[in-house]
Amino acid sequence: MSAVWRASRAAVRRRRLQTIVIGVVTGLSTLMVVVALGLLAASAGPFDQAYARQDGAHLVAAYDRAKVTDAQLAAAARRPEVAAQAGPFGQATLGFVIEPGRPARQLTVVGRADPGGPVDRLNVWQGRWATGPGEVVLSRNPVEPPPVPLGAPVTAGGRSLTVVGYAYSVGGSAEAWVAPAQMATLRPDTVQVLYRFTRAATEAQVAAGQAAVTAGLAPGALLAGRSYLVLRAWAAASAGTFVPFLVVFGCLALAVAVLIVANVVSGAVVAGFRHIGVLKALGFTPGQVMTVYLAMVSIPAVAGCLAGTVFGNLLARTLLTNAFQNYGTGGIGVAPWVNVVTLLGMPALVALCALVPALRARSLSAAEAISAGSAPHAGRGLRIQRRLGGTRLPRAVSLGLGLPFARPARSVLTMAAVVLGVTSVTFAIGLAGTVTSYQKSQGRADAVQVEVLTAGGPGGTRTAAADRADAATLRSVPGAAQVTARADLVVRAAGSTQTFMAMFYRGDPGFETLSGRWPAAAGEIAVSERFLLQRGYSVGDSLTLESEGVRRPVRIVGKVLMNTGNVALAGWPTLELFAPGTGADAYEVRLTAGTGAQAYADAVHAADPGLDATPTDNADSFVAVIIATVTLLTLMLGAVAALGVLNTAVLNTRERSRDLGMLKSIGMTPRQVVLMVVTSMAALGALGGVLGIPVGIVAHRFAMPAMAHAAQVAFPDRALDVYHPPVLALLVLAGVAIAALGAFLPARAAARLTIAKVLHNE
Amino acid sequence: MIGEESERVVVRLTDVRKEYGDTAALDGVSLEIRAGEAVAVMGPSGCGKSTMLNMVAGLDRPTAGTVEVHGEDLGRLNETGRALFRRRRIGMIFQFFNLLDDLPALDNVALAAQLIGTPAKQARARALELLDELGVADRRNTYPAALSGGERQRVAVARALMNRPALLLADEPTGALDSRAGEQVMDLLIDLNQIGQSLLMVTHDERLATRCASRLVEMVDGRVARERSLERTP
Repeated sequence: MSAVWRASRAAVRRRRLQTIVIGVVTGLSTLMVVVALGLLAASAGPFDQAYARQDGAHLVAAYDRAKVTDAQLAAAARRPEVAAQAGPFGQATLGFVIEPGRPARQLTVVGRADPGGPVDRLNVWQGRWATGPGEVVLSRNPVEPPPVPLGAPVTAGGRSLTVVGYAYSVGGSAEAWVAPAQMATLRPDTVQVLYRFTRAATEAQVAAGQAAVTAGLAPGALLAGRSYLVLRAWAAASAGTFVPFLVVFGCLALAVAVLIVANVVSGAVVAGFRHIGVLKALGFTPGQVMTVYLAMVSIPAVAGCLAGTVFGNLLARTLLTNAFQNYGTGGIGVAPWVNVVTLLGMPALVALCALVPALRARSLSAAEAISAGSAPHAGRGLRIQRRLGGTRLPRAVSLGLGLPFARPARSVLTMAAVVLGVTSVTFAIGLAGTVTSYQKSQGRADAVQVEVLTAGGPGGTRTAAADRADAATLRSVPGAAQVTARADLVVRAAGSTQTFMAMFYRGDPGFETLSGRWPAAAGEIAVSERFLLQRGYSVGDSLTLESEGVRRPVRIVGKVLMNTGNVALAGWPTLELFAPGTGADAYEVRLTAGTGAQAYADAVHAADPGLDATPTDNADSFVAVIIATVTLLTLMLGAVAALGVLNTAVLNTRERSRDLGMLKSIGMTPRQVVLMVVTSMAALGALGGVLGIPVGIVAHRFAMPAMAHAAQVAFPDRALDVYHPPVLALLVLAGVAIAALGAFLPARAAARLTIAKVLHNE
Repeated sequence: MIGEESERVVVRLTDVRKEYGDTAALDGVSLEIRAGEAVAVMGPSGCGKSTMLNMVAGLDRPTAGTVEVHGEDLGRLNETGRALFRRRRIGMIFQFFNLLDDLPALDNVALAAQLIGTPAKQARARALELLDELGVADRRNTYPAALSGGERQRVAVARALMNRPALLLADEPTGALDSRAGEQVMDLLIDLNQIGQSLLMVTHDERLATRCASRLVEMVDGRVARERSLERTP
């Protein structure tokens, strides 16, 4: 074993605490970088990954069984535009009763012999495929709990079927599947064909593909054709919200990592000057000394980097899987380039940080190095220390406040880490506040606590008399403060093939109007920001809507806070224009204070089993994931910043062990020692807090509108107004808390210092 | 009255034993120091004299036996209790002065009083008084690095006297000084003892012992080998 290696190993072992700090800091920093870069890379294409894995259909086509033959469909599949085809499968829309006692819901059921094939390979994530008579597989995302256990009976179009499995199609090709033989008994009136085209990157290419496969068919043979780009656009809008805040957190994590690593490493080198001097005195060449030092720092750094990469991958995979709802295809991993970049980049960064002080040590003579390893030079910040000594502050506090001035460069690096730590906390609090405020507003948490569907379900044609009776029932159940009736119609803008939902309200549904006003009069509608952006409309524009052959001109009079681009809102008078005399098919209920939503829903079900009442779920899983991610990253950044402070406090107290011994010998109590050391770092923390808050607020102001833009949503101004004086005061304390936490352990160690040992060890 | 005062025992060590692992640094030491006495402890390196000084200062605890200073059993005090005891009862002088490099002489001296809550202005006034008495008032704004060895030790003595301690402990107080500065420090200790300051010093310097002490305790292998009274030499 060479002398250099032996000396390096000995140095690592002797500086156990420093080795641990370097390892943990590089480990946590690497973890954050992997998570941030991993999420950043994945947010660009988890839908594409998931879709590619399932060979998802570019076009889901539904044909009228009476107007096409299998031979025609097979001929269409041979067109050059078609890369692969699955089907034809029999398809029917049936009323399903999945949970006993609940009203029937219309579900699309398809007959497929197996879940595989060239297109739309389904993920059967629980149970097995339906192969025999009386078996059904239900569609469910693996991240959602199944509504009924395997083996449970369900009713479909009046027939009893047994649930034998749960499967998921990213393309949403059906809501239930049965064996083809079973499908035949359900009298399918539609044929489903799934296509993958050779070119399908744009809407025009998908439309060209659709035109090719339907060429020559009888008019009206194609009942519906859904492009995968619609789903992709929706996914992009959701995933896009992640990108801006990940950019901010990724930058913060990198900056904190650089600062802390630089501080820890340069501190290790400076604290090791004496050791360097001894090595030189023993005959080590300057190059060998530098190698010893780089090895001493690199060994724990590489170990930390490896551990950080492994744990970062595990964490990022979990976050990605939750963030992108998994798309039902299994986990989404970190891109390989992220691991390559971090595994090479972090050790290189650490080595670079160590190189500068190591070069400095290399150039020192043995005698200089040995003397440089003692206490800091006198003469730094002396005037400040003197002034502090004359103040009314307790002496332990004033001594502590003066300590950072003895090592100004180290203090500045430490403070910069705290600044970034506080910036992260500030940004995280702002982000959580804005997202929560947005979620609360768009979920209408204060306006609607229970939604009630009538037996006819959405789109049904109910009479006004039934409507009045149901509304009266809902009002009669104790706890109802307000019952707002709703009727839904599928509509399309004249000249467009895209349909969307029009929701007509009788009463105040509690939507927040961002611009314009609520559409109370006949012929008025309100829509979301996403609706306007996706269709190129503005508030004030007019358009013609069409529903079941009825065409009426309407005007967009307001923009409301709503997280969907496929809904238009209107008042009851507008419904009268399209479907006069129609009754409500759903009700939204605001409860009196103290009434439980589930209790009310149960009471409604008891009063009228035909009414399907469910508490509204205002918690958006995507929002929850954003808040969880941001909290986790913030905690990690705070921990790394605190470790930076710990390292500085350790270096300071070790360098000043003689002074500490002397202070204790003249009567400084352990509590005063702790107070002094913690104060020295808390002062940096408080200053870091004051500087970090504005940076965090600016980051919040920059990231939130970018997030809103990416997600195609509009925030009310008050959603950005989240930094109130008590919050700001708490944020200043966050800096102090980070610093105090980091300083506490070294302070306690300093308080326990054996005076006799340090004072007589001259 | 003065006779009663001089009979009062300031330090009482009873069968004190201190072990570091398998090694006994002190092996059944018993010793009394009365008020106003100046006692020098001598002996070869490793004989336990510094360990004994640490016991009296409350810097360390005995493994067995009792250490009483001003009637206080130090073995019964916790870390904070011993710190509070030190700041009120003990003044310490070290071989290497142990001044804070980043405070000027005046603030180094005032520090001891400020730690017990004396306001800065009052503490500095008392510190200046002491520096004046010890002949280094003109160096009050000078930092330790710019003071001579003798000046540093005078500043250290002033700091030790700041809270009017009942007992002054000195660990090789002339060990790092040249002969002239050493003589000055010896004169200072004699003057302090003559005005009634009890003194316990540990030294290798026989001249220091014979000039400043009224009693000499010689230690060998952690035990008191011999005690004798001294006639101070001029």
